[in-house]
Amino acid sequence: MTAGVILLVGGLVFLSGSALAAFYWSVKTGQLNNLAEGAKSIFDEDEPVGVSTDKFPSKTRS
Amino acid sequence: MKSPSFLASINPSTQPDTLDSVERAQIDASTRLPVLLFFGSAIFWLLVGSLLGLISAWKMTHPGLLDGASWLTFGRLRPAHLNTVIYGWASAAGIGVGIWLMARLCRVALMHTKLLVTAAIFWNLGVLVGTLGIIAGDSRSIEWLEFPGYSTPILFVAYAFIGVWTIIMFRYRRPGHVYVSQWYLLAAFLWFPWLYATANILLIWQPIQGSAQAAVNWWYAHNVLGLWFTPIGLASAYYMIPKVIGRPIHSYYLSILGFWSLALFYSWNGMHHLIGGPFPAWMVSASVVASIMMFIPVITVAINHHMTMRGHFGALKWSPTLRFTVFGAMTYTLVSLQGSMMAIPSWNTLVHFTDHTPGHAHLGLYGFFTMILFGAMYYIIPRLVGWEWPSATMIRWHFWLAAIGIGMMVVSLTIGGILQGLAFYDPAVSFRSSLDYATPFRIVRGISGFLLLGAHLVFAVLFIQMVLKLGAPKEGPALFAKPESKEAVAV
Repeated sequence: MTAGVILLVGGLVFLSGSALAAFYWSVKTGQLNNLAEGAKSIFDEDEPVGVSTDKFPSKTRS
Repeated sequence: MKSPSFLASINPSTQPDTLDSVERAQIDASTRLPVLLFFGSAIFWLLVGSLLGLISAWKMTHPGLLDGASWLTFGRLRPAHLNTVIYGWASAAGIGVGIWLMARLCRVALMHTKLLVTAAIFWNLGVLVGTLGIIAGDSRSIEWLEFPGYSTPILFVAYAFIGVWTIIMFRYRRPGHVYVSQWYLLAAFLWFPWLYATANILLIWQPIQGSAQAAVNWWYAHNVLGLWFTPIGLASAYYMIPKVIGRPIHSYYLSILGFWSLALFYSWNGMHHLIGGPFPAWMVSASVVASIMMFIPVITVAINHHMTMRGHFGALKWSPTLRFTVFGAMTYTLVSLQGSMMAIPSWNTLVHFTDHTPGHAHLGLYGFFTMILFGAMYYIIPRLVGWEWPSATMIRWHFWLAAIGIGMMVVSLTIGGILQGLAFYDPAVSFRSSLDYATPFRIVRGISGFLLLGAHLVFAVLFIQMVLKLGAPKEGPALFAKPESKEAVAV
């Protein structure tokens, strides 16, 4: 029982602590400064905004 | 420069900025072996799990079906179904999608392939031993944790390897913005090993006593959905929808707000399964409040995905990835709002212990998460094997069988569950006759199981064709951007 309580409480501290630490880190390193740019971080010159990257295989070949 | 050794990558004094910048295609190729291992085994378990589910469903209306042997009884097949689909299929396929997304979002080639391959082997060994254990009669009778105690440590090893790998990858990422999908993946991969270990220690290895077991049980079971499946599913949707239609998400601010509010509220939700149970009232109340607070992350995601898609809904016609992903994302809104409603005590007393609950569970795990996984796999697999999906017709069959199947299942169980609940309320109706209200709906559910199994068989055939590169090569891979079209747009 005691071991269980230690695990649960320790776990809760770990869970919320890791979330808080991650949030602190994200603010400190400027992750939240330029959100408009952040949204575009998955695009690049190779696959820019405006280019679609998926479609059904063409029906010419069956 | 080479990828550092495992010991060097976990050594805090190593300089992480040593990896070469590589092309996207190289990153995709580097993830090939572990991702295909996880996908392939996941599809195998999906077929096993669907069959087990189908038999269990028909046993509900035809108890005499296959009742000759102890290992074919409902009490063994049903937990075997649950555990093969959540650990064998959904978790493994989710890990595969997560590995690929991590490599892409870190913008580095996959490191420590062997670590992940070992994890995949351990994973499948754990699921196999656990499933056989349940079939043999060693089930723990704790919902979502039925795997016997001798199989869970094997699974934990796999989880832990993947968690360590995630930290290493994140450490060695190329500098730049941490995209919202990566936040979700980090949350899932780092929190889940701990959740799993805690639940196993408190329920199986050193069981705590009394009703506290139920509290730990539902805290765990709900967090599997909220802190494991949901983040992976949303990470995929937040990546696939913008990539496929070529448009950044509508509001990045909302996506960040959605992530942090999910992290804050979700782990409180589990106790709403225990409304009316022998627990301190504050425990259940706090959980009900947190369940209602889930409206915030859910609505931010719903608004965001809808506004991103606006004007691009036509793309659902031509992109398999988008069709599955958007189906999943819309279902996420639906299933989450339904879940919040089910946490309201007056509604809960009606639908608790009825077929409404498995309807809700399938809407979440299948309509939302599994459909998102299918969508992601349609995007990822061609990029790993360098081969085009062989047949658009088969993809359409897969989509419609799955969509109609899950629709039939959820609608029938939801209506049947409510009728059943109303019959429970009526003192004039005996428990035995209350089941008669559910029977016709259970038959519809049984039929929907055939559609889903059919969908999975179609997908399994497609997957085998992809991995073995069967059939004639396609003229111009439709899924890779052609060089000339790239240049045309880049101008």
